[in-house]
Amino acid sequence: MLGDAFGEAIRLLTSGDSDTWEIIARSLVISLTATAIAFSLGVPLGMLLAFGRFPARRAAHAAINTGMGMPPVVVGLILTVLLWRAGPLGGLELLYTPVAMVLAQAVIALPLVAGISTAALSQVDPDFRIQMEALGASRARALWTVVVEARLPLLAAVMAGFGAVISEVGAAMMVGGNIAGQTRVLTTAAVLETSRGNFALAIALGLILLVLAFVVNAVLTAAQHRGRA
Amino acid sequence: MTAPVLELRDLVVRAGGRTILAVPRLALGGATTTAVLGPNGSGKSTLLRAAAALLTPERGAVLIDGVPAARADVRAATAAVLQRPLLRRASVRANVESGLRFRGVARGERRRRGQAWLDRLGIAALAERSAQRLSGGEAQRVSLARAFAVAPRVLLLDEPFSALDAPTRGELLADLREALAATGTAALLVTHDRHEAAAVADRVAILHAGELRQEGPASEVLDHPVDADCARILGFHNVLPGRLLGVAADHVAVPAGACGLTGPDGLRLTARLVRVIPLGPVWRVVLEADGRTLLANVPEAPPAELAPGDEIELRVDPAAVRAL
Repeated sequence: MLGDAFGEAIRLLTSGDSDTWEIIARSLVISLTATAIAFSLGVPLGMLLAFGRFPARRAAHAAINTGMGMPPVVVGLILTVLLWRAGPLGGLELLYTPVAMVLAQAVIALPLVAGISTAALSQVDPDFRIQMEALGASRARALWTVVVEARLPLLAAVMAGFGAVISEVGAAMMVGGNIAGQTRVLTTAAVLETSRGNFALAIALGLILLVLAFVVNAVLTAAQHRGRA
Repeated sequence: MTAPVLELRDLVVRAGGRTILAVPRLALGGATTTAVLGPNGSGKSTLLRAAAALLTPERGAVLIDGVPAARADVRAATAAVLQRPLLRRASVRANVESGLRFRGVARGERRRRGQAWLDRLGIAALAERSAQRLSGGEAQRVSLARAFAVAPRVLLLDEPFSALDAPTRGELLADLREALAATGTAALLVTHDRHEAAAVADRVAILHAGELRQEGPASEVLDHPVDADCARILGFHNVLPGRLLGVAADHVAVPAGACGLTGPDGLRLTARLVRVIPLGPVWRVVLEADGRTLLANVPEAPPAELAPGDEIELRVDPAAVRAL
C-alpha cells in the first residue's frame, strides 16, 4: 500500500494536478507568512528578554517558555471563540479564512521564535555589545551587531517556527474550516482523505508535506553552513 | 598650558549601594601612556569604562579638551580594547574595519586605513581569514588594530594582554609601545601587572579599593610607594615599622628581593623561620618578626639544617628600603 501511495504522490506532483499544487502553494504561503510575522515580532521580543531590564522580565520569560509548549488546539480554540460571529472580533469576519489561519499559526510560532531568539542572543558575550559601543557604535547599531552575531542560532528559530506551523493541523482545521479551494492545506487535506478511507492520497499528501519541510530546512541549513564558513 | 585631551574630574561610580570608584582627577593626553595599576576588584575596569563613557557615573564628569563632554563626544575621541578580544563572526579585515564602519568612514578610506593597521601589526596575511580561527595573540592583535584604525585621540586598554603567554605578551607590548609612539596617541592601560606598567607607561596611577592613591611619573611612582597598600601593589612585599630596621620612619617598605639570609653588612633584622617555598628561579623564605610575616626571595636554597621556628638574621639592602 505504501508503494501505491508513493506512486500516487509522484503522479499527483508530476501530472500537474492543479488541486494538489494549489494546496501546496496555499500551505506554503500561509505558513511562511505566519513564520515571517512570528520572526519580525519574536526577534525584538527576544532582544527585550535577553537585554532588557524590567521588573516582569522573569515572568515574561516564563510565559514565553510556557507558550513554546502550548497545544495548537488551544490556540485554535481561543481564536475561534474570539473570531466567532458573536465573539468580540466577530465583526472582522475572519473565521474560516486564510487570514485567520495565518493569525493562528503566527500565535503558535511566536513563542518558539521568541524563546529560541532569547537563548540565541543571550549566548553572545555581554561585553560584545559594550566593545562595539567602545569602538564608536551607537546603542542601536551595537544591538544590531549582536543580532548579526547570533544569525546562525536565529536561523534555527526560523526553522523551528516554520516546522511547527507547516505540520500543524488542529488550529488550521478549527479557524480555517478545511474549505476546498479556500482554506484547505496539506495537513487538513490529509486528515480529510484519511477519514474518507483514501489512504493512498492521504499518504501522498503526507509525503509531500515531508518533502516540503525537508526542502525548506535544507535551504536554511545550507545558509547556516555558508554563514559559519 | 593646553588642556589634557581627556580628563576625569570628581568622578564617583556607585553600584549596589556602595562607592566602587572615586577619582578626584586623572588627566590623559600629550602622547603619554598612563598605566592604572591595581589588584583585581580595585575598580580598574570601572575606571576605564567611565573614561570611555560606557557607564553613567553617580557624579563627576569626563572632560574632552577641558570641556565637560557628552557621551557621543567621548566616544568619538576614544576607542577601547577590552580584556577579551571580542571579534565579530567575520573576516579579520572586516573586524579591523568595523570601528571605521560605525563612524561612517567611506569604503575606500576604510579599506586603506584598515590595511595600514593590518600591515603595521603584522596580521596582513590573516586579512581574509575568519576571525573565529585565530590564536589568542592573533585575536588580540586584530582587536588592537581595530582600535588603532579609528585613530582615537585616547586609546583605552583594559588588561588586553593578561590572558596571553609571556613571550606573546612581550611582543605585543613592544608593538603597542611602538604604535603609540609612532602615532602620538595618548593611552590609558589598565593592568594588575607592575612589570607591564613599567614596560609601557610614562605615568602610573595606583588604584586601591576604588580610590586613586598615587599618581605621577612612572619612574617615581613605581619606586616610591606612598602607603602600605601602594607598596604591596608595587611589589614591596614587606611593610614593617621602621624601628625594626633601626630606620627613622614610621613604616618602611622593602621588596622581598632585597632581603637575604647572607650578604653584605646592611640593615639587620632578627626573625623566625616559618617555611621555605621553592619558586623555580628563587626560594621564597617566609619569616615572622614582631608578629608580622616577612618575605625574602633568595637565589640559593637556604641551608637544609634550618627548621621552622629557628631564629635567622635577615639582611636587608638599605638602598631598597622606602620610608612610607
